[in-house]
Amino acid sequence: MSSTTAGRGPNGDARADDFLLEVKNLSVAYESDEVPPVQAVDRVSFSLRKGEFVGLVGESGSGKSTLGFAITRLQKPPAVITGGNVVFDGRDIREMDPESLRRQRQGGFAMVLQSGMNALNPVRTIGHHFTDIFKAHGHVQRKDWWDRARYLVDKVELPPGVLARYPAELSGGMRQRVSIALALSLEPRLMVFDEPTTALDVLVQHAVMDTITTLQESEGFTAVLISHDLGVVLEATERVMVMHKGRIVENAPSDRILSDPQNDYTKMLLSHYADPRAEKVSLPGFEHFTRADAGVDTPAGETGRASRRLVVENVSKTYPPPSRGDNPVRAVRNVSFTLEPGQALALVGQSGSGKSTIAKLITGVEKPSEGRIAFGDLDVTTLPQRRLRRLHEDVQMIFQDPYSAQNPVLTVEYQLSRPIRNFTQLRGNDARDEVRHLLETVGLTPAESFVTKLPHQLSGGQRQRVVVARALACNPQVIIADEPVSMLDVSLRAGVLKLIEDLRRERGVSLLYITHDLLSARLVTDDILVLHEGEVVERGATTDVMLDPQDEYTRALLEAIPNPARAHEERARRHNRAESQ
Amino acid sequence: MSEAVSDASVGPREGKYRAPILSSSLRYWLSKVGLFLLTLWAAVTLNFILPRLMPGSPADAAIAKLSQSGPVSAATKHAIEAQLGVPSGNIWQQYIEYLHQVVTLNFGVSYTFFPESVESLVMRALPYTITLVGITTIVAFIVGTLLGASAAWRRGTWRDTVPTLTGSFLSTFPYFWVALLLLFFLGYVAHLFPTSGAYAPTVEPNLSFSFFGDAIYHAILPAVTLFVTSLGGWILGMRNAMINTLGDDYITFAEANGLKGRTVALRYAARNAILPNLTGFGLALGGVVGGSILVEQVFGYPGVGYLLFNAVINQDFPLMQALFLMITLSVLVANFLVDILYGILDPRTHR
Repeated sequence: MSSTTAGRGPNGDARADDFLLEVKNLSVAYESDEVPPVQAVDRVSFSLRKGEFVGLVGESGSGKSTLGFAITRLQKPPAVITGGNVVFDGRDIREMDPESLRRQRQGGFAMVLQSGMNALNPVRTIGHHFTDIFKAHGHVQRKDWWDRARYLVDKVELPPGVLARYPAELSGGMRQRVSIALALSLEPRLMVFDEPTTALDVLVQHAVMDTITTLQESEGFTAVLISHDLGVVLEATERVMVMHKGRIVENAPSDRILSDPQNDYTKMLLSHYADPRAEKVSLPGFEHFTRADAGVDTPAGETGRASRRLVVENVSKTYPPPSRGDNPVRAVRNVSFTLEPGQALALVGQSGSGKSTIAKLITGVEKPSEGRIAFGDLDVTTLPQRRLRRLHEDVQMIFQDPYSAQNPVLTVEYQLSRPIRNFTQLRGNDARDEVRHLLETVGLTPAESFVTKLPHQLSGGQRQRVVVARALACNPQVIIADEPVSMLDVSLRAGVLKLIEDLRRERGVSLLYITHDLLSARLVTDDILVLHEGEVVERGATTDVMLDPQDEYTRALLEAIPNPARAHEERARRHNRAESQ
Repeated sequence: MSEAVSDASVGPREGKYRAPILSSSLRYWLSKVGLFLLTLWAAVTLNFILPRLMPGSPADAAIAKLSQSGPVSAATKHAIEAQLGVPSGNIWQQYIEYLHQVVTLNFGVSYTFFPESVESLVMRALPYTITLVGITTIVAFIVGTLLGASAAWRRGTWRDTVPTLTGSFLSTFPYFWVALLLLFFLGYVAHLFPTSGAYAPTVEPNLSFSFFGDAIYHAILPAVTLFVTSLGGWILGMRNAMINTLGDDYITFAEANGLKGRTVALRYAARNAILPNLTGFGLALGGVVGGSILVEQVFGYPGVGYLLFNAVINQDFPLMQALFLMITLSVLVANFLVDILYGILDPRTHR
């Protein structure tokens, strides 16, 4: 296979009828009455050979999803194709009338959407989703409908029982599998997967990706995998197209991207991957310390701001059963730890492991069923609701989703001035100055240009910085950060992590860092607790746990991290296996 | 591929998943019925307690009025108390007596329309109101919802703009004003429709075709008034809900799977968009029995609203109490029915 970099047509030596899809100079713009059109996809050209598995990578706003929607002609106003051709199997899909386009969806191109969670009609059973498709296209005889549906769910490793269920009764991973089976039921020649695993847990993500790659090999359809995660894409695909600001900036075989990236943007993306199990881990602008360095560098309690320790003692939290007959949900089971002044501790686990419940218990939002939580001499477990303020002067939280953690109609100035008024003595001009000082602290400079902004006028990274500034407004001793970077683009993550790390060292605050992402835990914490189903399965110094995990679950988590370098071997292994069969 | 299945969490529940769902939905229905009975009892009891919390009694008021024009003898006082049915016995006996009256629909004698019993008055007014307001409400809901759904589906075309603009334009009119306009132009000026009453004075109410024809003829103007002024709300409500639904991922996915436009519009979009509107429909249905006071007043239509108006003007306590109880009941029943409907239409509610 030959390949070239951006712009020029790849696979120059292949014959034209080898191509399933040819895209030439495709442009897509978001048109609006008030503002000039935004060019989301800008004169993009590429081709897909039959049976090929290609990745399309880019950060949010790069135009990758818009491109995915345009090549399957699912783009909706205000997105408009402004130029170029999309030739699928010899026909330009831009010229198809609605009815032939609809027919083309069977045996033609199918799409699996980003949030498979919401891709299913909540008031129809899974089985009816299948029969709706069979009815619309008539490619399966009525008497075979249910047999075929059972066959398809079996393909995605689900039991036939799911057919009788409603979408809300399935887990996220199962719903995504159902979406894949539905797309498969169309017997497509081209499948476009738009971020198929983004909303899923690490371990589930891994399993669903396995299913996708297996299916692609066994069914032989041509596939495009759209993702923001270069690691995931490199693990699964043969060729990768990197998209940046509406253009494909690099288009090369996966191995080449890894070993010899040509484009600066690709290099930048790659530089944000690191193996948390390595001796020394660094991200751009973020040199981390080995265990020995960290010991020297950690501020001692007396020099820093934090003076009180947070003690969690034999804490359990049991929720009543979701419906009668089920067992009570034991979200947290007998967890104990101490957060020393100035310490950075990671709570790691996948969703459902109880890590966010622990945050709720510490901040007093919920009361533990058993056990005791104390902050200094303040007993959080017995603190009445109306006196929680005393706790929140010193314990503040940074939330996962910067998009929903802010009231959309309040300016940055107002959001920051509230905690200042509530928790400090500063008023008037002093408070105004403090707002600006906080913005500068979190790297939003010049502060004056940010104070009047509303949340939607900020980027994701800037929003998260405002959330951090808000948590700092009352000068807390402890910061609880719940997945603070998981919603951000890879290139922004290092910046926010660096900010948290710097603040911790300069201000001497203690940090409880809640995450499923072991790499970021490795970068900002000294110690780690690994949680599985509410129980602590492993604890120790972060570096020690990463380098030498003792528990099976910790190892599974480490294994599931997408890793471009390992992808290399992975693919070679699969290849060998295929050849030996 | 063992880890693939581990996320599924199907394993342990697979095979017996039907049983818990059945019993959980049974529990849902039972809890709904239980809640309905409890609120029903609370409403009936509140209707009993409230008048007794008020200072004085209707009898005292009547005696006070009489005593302005001279002393009231003990016999007169007794007569008034007997006439008004002032209760005897302690509060529990009164309560039991009251419950018995409620169950047997015995609400005493109306002051205004003496000596008619409240029961017969209400029973005479109720059919007119329920047919007029009830049918109009249901038809307006169905027509409005359909128009709203088609407007959202054909967004931006004339099928969107015409019903949406007309609907919102009409719903800005106060309905009694529309009533007066219709009455004036179609009734007094053009003589196309009768101007008052539920049937012509020459017709005797019975179950004959001629009576029904006449009743329908009399009901047209008030029905058009109610229909025209409530339609816009349903159109806009459904249109907005459906536009939101059309932006959902399952609509895009359904289109990506090449389902027919009709299936996507009805089974995927409208089916989900109608759910929030059902709550509003329930409230509107509950209000049916209260009648539409102003419309009934303008058209001299002998429905419950007309009765209620007269009861309030004349301080007719027995009639008022009976009407209030009925209105409360109908709101409860309507909400109960909508709850049931919701449970059938949205499988997520009983989980």
